[in-house]
Amino acid sequence: MSTTVATRGRAATRTAAPLGRLLAAELRWVLRRPRTLVVFGLLALVPIAIAIGIATTGGPSAGRGPGLVAQVAGNGFVLPVVALGLSLTLLLPLAVASAGADAIAGEAATGTLRGLLIAPVGRLRLVVMKAAGVVTVAVLAVLVVAVVGMIAGTVVVGGAQGTLVTLSGTTLGVGEAIGRIALVAAWTVGQLLAIGAVALAISTLTEHPLVVLACVLGGLIVFGVLSAIPSLEWLQPLLLTTGFTAGTDVLRDPLPLDGLVSSTVRALVYVVLGLGVTLWRMRRRDA
Amino acid sequence: MSSRKRWGAGLAGIVVAGAVAVGVAVAPTAAAAPPLPPVSPEALVASVITAKPGPMNGTVTVDNELGLPALPNAPQLGNGTQTARVWSGGDGKGRVALPSSDGERTLVSDGTTRWSYDSADRTVTKAPANAGGPPSRPDVPGGVDPRTDPAGAATSMIADLRKTSTVTVDGTEEVAGRAAYQLVLTPLPTERTLLREVRVSVDAEKRLPLQLTVLATGSAQPALTIGFSDITFGPQDPSLFTFTPPPGTTVKDAPAPDGRGGPPTGAQAPKTVGDGWDRVVVAQKPATPPNQPGQPGRPAGAPDLSSLGTPVSGPWGQGRLITTTVATAIITNDGRIAAGAVPEQVLTEALGR
Amino acid sequence: MTAAPGTLDVVPSPEEPRTATPAPAARVRGLRTTFGRVVAVDGVDLELPSGAVVGMLGPNGSGKTTLIRMLLGLTRPTAGHVELLGRTGDDLAAALPDVGALVEGPGFHPFLSGRDNLLRAAATEPRLEGDLRAPVDAALERVGLSDAARRRYRGYSLGMKQRLGLAAALLVPRRLVVLDEPTNGLDPAGTRDVRRVIAELHDAGTTVLLSSHLLAEVEAVCTHVAVLQRGSLLVSGELSGLLDAGAGELVVTTDDPTTALDAVRVAGAGPYLRDGGLVVPAGPLEPPEVVAALVRAGVGVWEVHRRRAHLEELFARLTEEDA
Repeated sequence: MSTTVATRGRAATRTAAPLGRLLAAELRWVLRRPRTLVVFGLLALVPIAIAIGIATTGGPSAGRGPGLVAQVAGNGFVLPVVALGLSLTLLLPLAVASAGADAIAGEAATGTLRGLLIAPVGRLRLVVMKAAGVVTVAVLAVLVVAVVGMIAGTVVVGGAQGTLVTLSGTTLGVGEAIGRIALVAAWTVGQLLAIGAVALAISTLTEHPLVVLACVLGGLIVFGVLSAIPSLEWLQPLLLTTGFTAGTDVLRDPLPLDGLVSSTVRALVYVVLGLGVTLWRMRRRDA
Repeated sequence: MSSRKRWGAGLAGIVVAGAVAVGVAVAPTAAAAPPLPPVSPEALVASVITAKPGPMNGTVTVDNELGLPALPNAPQLGNGTQTARVWSGGDGKGRVALPSSDGERTLVSDGTTRWSYDSADRTVTKAPANAGGPPSRPDVPGGVDPRTDPAGAATSMIADLRKTSTVTVDGTEEVAGRAAYQLVLTPLPTERTLLREVRVSVDAEKRLPLQLTVLATGSAQPALTIGFSDITFGPQDPSLFTFTPPPGTTVKDAPAPDGRGGPPTGAQAPKTVGDGWDRVVVAQKPATPPNQPGQPGRPAGAPDLSSLGTPVSGPWGQGRLITTTVATAIITNDGRIAAGAVPEQVLTEALGR
Repeated sequence: MTAAPGTLDVVPSPEEPRTATPAPAARVRGLRTTFGRVVAVDGVDLELPSGAVVGMLGPNGSGKTTLIRMLLGLTRPTAGHVELLGRTGDDLAAALPDVGALVEGPGFHPFLSGRDNLLRAAATEPRLEGDLRAPVDAALERVGLSDAARRRYRGYSLGMKQRLGLAAALLVPRRLVVLDEPTNGLDPAGTRDVRRVIAELHDAGTTVLLSSHLLAEVEAVCTHVAVLQRGSLLVSGELSGLLDAGAGELVVTTDDPTTALDAVRVAGAGPYLRDGGLVVPAGPLEPPEVVAALVRAGVGVWEVHRRRAHLEELFARLTEEDA
């Protein structure tokens, strides 16, 4: 039998599939990948675990547990912020790094990168499509933590009379509290995009997704070690992890923007670097 | 292949550009000395004393290289950089936020009450606003407290030091983006002190001290720099100078202004020996000394400090000597404490009196 | 065999009208690739005549896959020129929508079903528009995978994976289909299916490049053949021509082999006797000259036939000569 596929109109002459269809296919693929879903599930557990921990150990107790986690007690709106901050140290980077790893190195490992290049998906389009997948994972991962955190914070922990008590001792109404949570979520996405861009760049250099994961997570740990060495203080402005504590600033009042802005600028530089290397590599990469 | 080289160069360009961009994005820019009309030290100090800078807000950065012993209860006092956010209503009202990585201490003066909030234990401490001045930190001569009104603290310090110091205006510089005069205080040769020089940068327009730099003998790097890293003059939101204890917090009255640094009840008031740069404070345990950082005799719950310092002995008895880059302290075994920005010899003499 | 390897010129036979089309489906000139010090492909000139089924033969590591990868733009040649459906250089990718390929085994995601894998591949095909399910289902049907379409790729047998790879290459009507070892892991039924698909493609005018180390497979389906050895092209051309020119020997049945042997030897050839018949290897004498010599010697000739060589002999001789 023979296929009777219509190749009428533009399809008969065009040399690349429509970008929208590519993006839709990429997102469908990303979101059906089991490990993406597993990481999302783990991320949802973070705020739930904190909420249960707070609920079972009772109210605030000075000097018990990490300082920020203690802030959650009786102050449910803090939960998403704290959960995002805790997840940013490992789990959120893991989600994004694994997305970046699978995006190119993973496709190369399964032999599907060949298919994409032969189809052909143009090399620039391929980077756009892969970057979109990583961005989607970053946004969804942050949303999972933030939304589950809001729900767990409201239901399990309960609010301080429906308000958020800031670290500065002021109270914020529901609207402003949600605004602060949205701000820290957006900021976290920015930091994750930096990690994602670097993961994509490394992903173009190898055929082993685990190498990407190891490089990104190992790199974050090395950054953490470097920032703890006093004689390497001059290095701190260059390290992405230096700005990771800025997320806590949304719990201060008045809101200090310096840390959030400078860490976001730093993240943007990492994004530009990562995407630059990715594009440069994908122009030439064999598959 | 030439295109391969071109791409290699392109990659190198990307990396270099990125590294530069990261640096530029975060590193402070070097400031040039702004041209200003000359001014005499007297006129400058006078203008500082009479200046009314008005409402402002800014960030104060403390760069501490004092070499204080590490204390579990006060990690902020160790070497490093601390920042505080400061708002001043210009009328005695003010707000100071001392952020830490996982919390914040907030001090609010609303004109009648001084509030202190600590996020770590969610306690509010309140005290009447006019019960005593701002807590002093005698580790700097004259006492400067960056946490409250930097203007007042620096002003009184300058007035004191003119008796025992050469005071000059040594050029200009830019501090926190503002043109400033550099007032330099050098101890007179007769003063026996560990300090080499104290520099105060005074805002050329508002005459507000913007930065204090303490240089110790034998070190090119400042031992302590307290100053604005950014400052904005202008009306402030009045709600900044009010404080309402948030729900779920405990409110208690301070035994003394803000609970720190006041004379503890039942304790003998510390006396001072000498004046100027070689002033020595002598106090009696268990009295809380005037909040000398790194000194024993802290309130209950403070760590055991008996292991700090090195053992010394003299005509006054036996004790332990604690030295930092700018100050020295002796804790005697019979409970006396002597401290000052002086060498050990001066402390020994002070204890002998 | 006097022709030098790789320079055997074969005139297109008249019964292949498609080869009369001037532009070949693909052409490489002076192609050379090195990976570090290893020369994978060395100075290959090859044309894929439009409409032909070209079998590419060669032992493992002879450069077949590298050549295919360069043809598809997956590997950049160190030197040389690639032309694919009239496109060259940076424009090469513009030809790819009309090229289907199964290279280096099938590549699919294990956690998706075969059908979902194909849907994802279909989304990337420039030539497809609208509903992608119809072409996907048609391609699955064509390779006989309809029943297993909704099972996860992870559970597929090697043969099923191979079929799915073939289906991906056939999602769109192609002008050129490149199949790298398509029958790898297939059972006899699967092999038959692949042959049927290639025959269908050939009938539809599609050019097919079939890389294989199975000589029988190539001989069964190919119109043209190219033989690679250690990165160099030993020979290429029309299969029938190569077999005729390369190994045709004349077998003469006669009532007096001894006289016949002398007669042909005198005429200048190197005959020998086998199974009571006279065998005249291809060489200086054309068949009419052999027959004339026999007739002049008065030998009764019962039968003269030309025995076609098998590809296997050709291949063995070529690769041994070179070795």
